[in-house]
Amino acid sequence: MLSKLKIALSTLVAGATVAAALTAYATTASAPAAANAAPPQAAMPAATAEPAKKESSSTADHSKFKALQVKFKTAPEVTKACLTCHTEAAKQIQKTKHWTWEFLNTETNQKLGKKHIINNFCTAVESNQKFCTACHVGYGWEDSKYDFSKQENVDCVVCHESTGTYRKVPGLSGHPTYKDMEYPPHSGKIVKAPDLAKVAQSVGKTSRANCGACHFNGGGGDAVKHGDLDSTLKDPPKFLDVHMEKKGLNFSCGACHMTSAHQVPGSRYTPTVDVNQGVPPHMRGKVDGSNPASCQSCHGSKPHPAKMAKLNEHTDKIACQTCHIPEFARGQATKMSWDWSTAGQLSPEGKPITKKDSGGHNAYDSKKGDFTWEDHVIPEYIWFNGKVNYTLRETKLDPTHVVKINSFEGSPTDGKSLIWPVKVFRGQQPYDSVSNTLLVPHTFGADGDSYWSNFNWDKSLAAGMKAANAPYSGQYGFVKTEMSWPITHMVAPKADALTCAQCHSKDGRLKNVQGIYMPGRGDQNKWLDYAGWTFALLTLIGVIVHGAGRIYTHRKG
Amino acid sequence: MLKIISGFVAALVLAGVLAYSFMSSLMFWEIPSPFGVEETAARIQQNIQNVGNGWTLSGLRNPAKAVEADGSNTLPVMMVEACSTKYSGPILKDDKVRYLSILMPCKISIYKKNDGKTYIGGMNAGLMGKFFGPMVGEVMGHVAEDQAKFVIFDASKPAPALIRGTPGAAGGAAAGGGGGC
Repeated sequence: MLSKLKIALSTLVAGATVAAALTAYATTASAPAAANAAPPQAAMPAATAEPAKKESSSTADHSKFKALQVKFKTAPEVTKACLTCHTEAAKQIQKTKHWTWEFLNTETNQKLGKKHIINNFCTAVESNQKFCTACHVGYGWEDSKYDFSKQENVDCVVCHESTGTYRKVPGLSGHPTYKDMEYPPHSGKIVKAPDLAKVAQSVGKTSRANCGACHFNGGGGDAVKHGDLDSTLKDPPKFLDVHMEKKGLNFSCGACHMTSAHQVPGSRYTPTVDVNQGVPPHMRGKVDGSNPASCQSCHGSKPHPAKMAKLNEHTDKIACQTCHIPEFARGQATKMSWDWSTAGQLSPEGKPITKKDSGGHNAYDSKKGDFTWEDHVIPEYIWFNGKVNYTLRETKLDPTHVVKINSFEGSPTDGKSLIWPVKVFRGQQPYDSVSNTLLVPHTFGADGDSYWSNFNWDKSLAAGMKAANAPYSGQYGFVKTEMSWPITHMVAPKADALTCAQCHSKDGRLKNVQGIYMPGRGDQNKWLDYAGWTFALLTLIGVIVHGAGRIYTHRKG
Repeated sequence: MLKIISGFVAALVLAGVLAYSFMSSLMFWEIPSPFGVEETAARIQQNIQNVGNGWTLSGLRNPAKAVEADGSNTLPVMMVEACSTKYSGPILKDDKVRYLSILMPCKISIYKKNDGKTYIGGMNAGLMGKFFGPMVGEVMGHVAEDQAKFVIFDASKPAPALIRGTPGAAGGAAAGGGGGC
């Protein structure tokens, strides 16, 4: 009893001592020295002379070309002038996805491309060509009768001009503005008509701004679609993209998407490199059919130094992007969901309305429905072997489940798959509730049937499906959909790559990746655990028995 | 005697270990938020403006931006700063505890973690105050009561806009005036 009292008393005194010590520490221990009255001297500024203007390495100054020193009235006239020298350019363009908006996936035999797929952003091009073709590398695509063989309809300057004044506004069938116009309508913002001669004379290598004019604005606006492509990449700081940083490597898009005869390699339809087929990945300078727009093209399959050799053991299962793009949308928020089913709410006066979220992003638009946005998005991770299956207009769907607009194939056992980061874009969109197929809405146009003019789904869907020459029962509903986008841009500095513990932990990044044993993740085998604990218990019993035996024999003499 | 000393030392070590283990969770709190970082910050700002007791917003800081400016990445962090002269006044008027001005303005941190979720973190003002005498303890107790109200959200109400500027006190706490301490 006395000894218990002593222990209790000791504990009490010890606790009080610790508390007193902590309080003393909190109040006095870290007191800084008296503040120095003199402020630290400011660093001397560096020389402020303006850097010399970088000389172009081009052998041609297009402003000196007579053919470009004319007053162009329309953009196709500019193209005609371009073609007087670049005789094969239009023919090359007309063989590309940028022109045809078609892609035949030979693995799945699915006809893809913007012309055919229905996504869960703006949904479909059919019946909305005048609007969507603002991002077509051509002029005049208004409807399904478009002449894809006309060379002067190819838009050269959208990819090559450098004035920054050339804008293809939605609704003009791919033409630039020829006179100043207000866009978006009723916004008070004026888009100036470009000086086409100046635009033509400014041409050069395709810059990030050229590609970004469309690819940063996919899905109907800046940062909407991809998550790893937005206007912050026009002039990205180091934290955002180590390859494109202006003060650093300053890569243009073409540095990776190395173009030949206007064919731009590397797209979401063929985004991967096969590292497990015994064939080395494409390396720069090598002529073959593999994808040069991959990390491995420059870095190889074993990119880490010898002291980090363990990381090289991961490259046959983990895509580079998984560790080196820890989050996407790090420059600004990206759209994460789009619910078309709530579109059409109007003000008491019958006018369309918009609402913003706390961050100032569009959260609701009568024309489009509800949106959500997020920045610094933690990707979802999946097994991906490069094969993608699409839910097309004619594909039967199950409306009781979330419809995957595109399904990424892959498994840990197929010998081809890597764990990839993806943006999963979620939404609700119209479907034919009788035939259980996706529908094409007619959204844009002043024709009385378009959704944005009358907010009437019946008319819009009937017109869209008629334009697509596809059957429609006349009954529609809204189905939940998901569309995945492989993340491959916005590579972070190497110090910001995922650490081991970010994956090898119980609630780590790869917690939902199935089919593999990952140390540290809490992957457990019940029988293996039983066996381990049994051995541990037996060892403990052995130690105790042995120790007791020793004590017993020692005391016995 | 030896038993008493060894018992005392053992208890000292035990108490130290316990204090070390639980100190952070006692001094600071962290709760998950059902909203994103910006919306959480905006709702907290709104709550601060509505709670009364002289609370005003002092600023909104984004420490992640400094990391980015240095060429590196970190997940989003926002710090909502608020102050009430009703509570700061008595402390600032007392020479003995005026150094506690380093705890002003009151900060609530909103951040995203690697699980993709948003969390709210703050200082346990009630407990902290008890270290510094009865007057501070009482004041900080009231602060803690109000702090608890800052993080009660009504999801049925629309998300307010985030107030990015520093209302009434440009430069956060530095400028003084009506918006801060």
